[in-house]
Amino acid sequence: MPFEAIIAIALAGALIARPVAPLIGRWSGWVFAVLPLSLFVFLAAHIPQIGVEGVLLATHEWIPSLGIALGFRLDGFSLLFSLLITGIGTLVVIYAGSYFAEKPPAQAGRFLALILLFMTAMLGTVLSDDLIVMFVFWELTSLTSFMLIGFDSHKLEARKSALQSLLVTGGGGLALFAGILLIGLTLGTFSFTEVIARSDELIAGPYLVPIIILILAGAFTKSAQFPFHFWLPNAMAAPTPASAYLHSATMVKLGVFLLARFDGVFADVPAFGVTLVIFGMITMSIAAFEALRASGFKAVLAQSTVASLGILVMLIGLDGEVAVVATVGFIITHAFYKAALFFCAGTAIHATGESSLRKLGGLARFLPITAAAAVLASLSMAGLPPFVGFISKEYLFEAQLESNWNMVPVIVAVLVNAIMVGVAGVVSIRPFFLNRDRITSVHHGEKPGLLVGPLLLASAGILMGFFSQYAAQLLIAPAASALYGAPIDVSFALWHGLTPMLALSALVVTIGALILVFWDSIHIVLRRRRVLHGLFGDRGYQAVHDGILGFARASTRWLQNGDQNHYTAIVVATVVLVLAVGMLASEDGLALALSDDPFRISVIAVLAIAAVGAMSSIFARSLIAALVCVGIVGFASALLFMMNGAPDLALTQFAVETLLVIILSAILLRLPVRRHHTRSLTERRRDGFLAVAFSGVIFVAIVSMTAMPLDFRLSEYFGQTSYLEAYGRNVVNVILVDYRAIDTLGEIAVVAFATMAAWALLRSATAKPGKDGKG
Amino acid sequence: MPFILSTLSRLFFFIMLAVSLFILLRGHNEPGGGFVGGLIAAAAFATLVLANGVNSARAVLRIHPVVLMGVGLGLAVLSGLPGLVSNASYLSHWWVDIAGTHLGTATVFDVGVYFVVMGGILCLVFRLYEEAVQ
Repeated sequence: MPFEAIIAIALAGALIARPVAPLIGRWSGWVFAVLPLSLFVFLAAHIPQIGVEGVLLATHEWIPSLGIALGFRLDGFSLLFSLLITGIGTLVVIYAGSYFAEKPPAQAGRFLALILLFMTAMLGTVLSDDLIVMFVFWELTSLTSFMLIGFDSHKLEARKSALQSLLVTGGGGLALFAGILLIGLTLGTFSFTEVIARSDELIAGPYLVPIIILILAGAFTKSAQFPFHFWLPNAMAAPTPASAYLHSATMVKLGVFLLARFDGVFADVPAFGVTLVIFGMITMSIAAFEALRASGFKAVLAQSTVASLGILVMLIGLDGEVAVVATVGFIITHAFYKAALFFCAGTAIHATGESSLRKLGGLARFLPITAAAAVLASLSMAGLPPFVGFISKEYLFEAQLESNWNMVPVIVAVLVNAIMVGVAGVVSIRPFFLNRDRITSVHHGEKPGLLVGPLLLASAGILMGFFSQYAAQLLIAPAASALYGAPIDVSFALWHGLTPMLALSALVVTIGALILVFWDSIHIVLRRRRVLHGLFGDRGYQAVHDGILGFARASTRWLQNGDQNHYTAIVVATVVLVLAVGMLASEDGLALALSDDPFRISVIAVLAIAAVGAMSSIFARSLIAALVCVGIVGFASALLFMMNGAPDLALTQFAVETLLVIILSAILLRLPVRRHHTRSLTERRRDGFLAVAFSGVIFVAIVSMTAMPLDFRLSEYFGQTSYLEAYGRNVVNVILVDYRAIDTLGEIAVVAFATMAAWALLRSATAKPGKDGKG
Repeated sequence: MPFILSTLSRLFFFIMLAVSLFILLRGHNEPGGGFVGGLIAAAAFATLVLANGVNSARAVLRIHPVVLMGVGLGLAVLSGLPGLVSNASYLSHWWVDIAGTHLGTATVFDVGVYFVVMGGILCLVFRLYEEAVQ
């Protein structure tokens, strides 16, 4: 099973999409859809094998020294996700091709490239067995999501939302990374297969609580759970095909994916499930409430997505076989109807240029097939028979009734689902069938590319309802078994008989119908309450965001106020303080001892020259003279290096001193020649105090350091091996270019980039229009 | 323009450039290396700048100092790649023995350092003296 090939093919598609798509023009969506489609077919061909064998593993060495391997795992659950990713990916690519048809071809190419790159990242995340590899792909999904939300980068709102989603999901990603590292620390492996096999060791390990909290943080940020629920509705700034793909069907389910995976690991930690149920319930309640207040077409859908994610998180938290089946079933159901509804919303918004539900109406006249697809999808969302949404809702209630929980989750689920029924009605009936006077013309009608996606997904919802036993056997049972850790016999059927679940479903539909009828009055009442504005929004995020920026501004104002004397004073004072505290606090204490070396008159002479240079720089009248005096100190220290057996250092010091004089005099030549000191007496006293303190601390430090016994092992090793292993007799150079070459590489990179920055700053400060062409 | 300095600067320039190359190449066994070599090469061009102005130094250098830095950084990065092939470890150097002289990818790396240092210093020197003259 060539897992790498799947990812490599997807990646290749992403790389060529940008240059190639504009060449193909309006058919680019159809052409590039072949790629995800073939991956879909290829993956689907593994369904029978997975049904029999359960798990396929493949491992290749990657970084053996860190215990990281390119491990891949295909089981029922990852197969289900990969099929959703490639299947819906195919439809999204087709849809996007038509959606961007009127835009510049380069824009369509950029979008397709990002979508395919995102697909690569998603496939990598769900197929990885190695947690580190999974994390790398996980972060790539966050990055591509950032790029797609900010796709219309000329809009402030898009940029802001993109940054917000990146900060939230990226921050959660870091938490997840820390959790993964702690797992590796406890078990000595990053392979998920081994982690789940040795879960009892992990639970007995010392880092259990931090691991759980960190993984929850990663999953909750990704899947927009309370208190991180705010970013997903804002992410609707993305082009609608991206919203359909990333922010409803696939990426936001990664958190759910992770939690479902780790639910098996933490099965014996009761608090894990309880936390999930509580946070899931809070999230779904808030999101359902916000859905009633939202007025944008996509905003309503986004809030209902958050509510669905809350339902999924709650389901994972419940124990038992039924809960697992309900989770898997709802993942499929939701992906189908929500992606379809987003497609319909995208077509409606694209054709009219209006995004508010209050301004849309009567679109069925212009977009009849889209309207039909929207109705089909919303019936599945509302959970009416014979749609698959009905079955998964039955399972949801059964899982809740069978759990050890009291009636609270059931009541919350009934209310939230009732609101979902209302939302389903509002997004399908109102923009397409009611208020025919609102829209009198559309920019464009329906195109095949805009119809394939919603129609296929919406009809899949009803087909899966009718042929539920096949779906249960082929997809749901393997996935649920993979999560549960033991084979589950799934009876995913439409008719369960007269059960409490059926009664609850009836109750949901009744309340939902009432909400639909009174939608306008509820909506207006909720929107009028000013208290509710921003109650559940991103106020907390804004406060943290602004607080950090404010702190950065304040500290920058103080540290970098533009006064060079101030900078130098801060640097010197810091060095003095750190060194003094370090020396006083060290266990060895200060070891002040005179060295036993013979007294050399030549050294004294050079030191005297340096001292004269330093003193004269203080009394020099002009800056140029002071520069020359400082140069004397530099050359004297170069001489000292030479006398003490460090010719390399001396050579470098000579060269540096020479160039320093050349560069600094260029700067000084342009400064006004000041005859008087600009510093007040107090300031000069402070400077003098700092200078004396600095030299005193450095002196004490050097004396006490040289008094300590030196460890020569490293020098001896380098000295002995430098010619034998690196063919060089100059140990200093061999260390630079061979033993520690990667450090040198880093250093020259810093030199290059810092110089480039200085060069650019000097250019902009004095650039004259039309003259400085050469740069 | 001082006539004597201008004339002598040509001479100094070539001597310093030759010395810098010598120091670069002998660096592996004797004091020297890419860093010092690069500094001396930069000083050679700085001599031209002081004597004949930035434009003539630019003309002698031909390529832009930023490009020079990029070339140096690129050489240093590339010199590590062969190590990946043989030893599966980045920057493990390859060596060939030509008549008793060892040449290897470490030399390429040092040449990279030489170019980065030279380009970096010249960026600043050229820029600053351009301003000073105007």
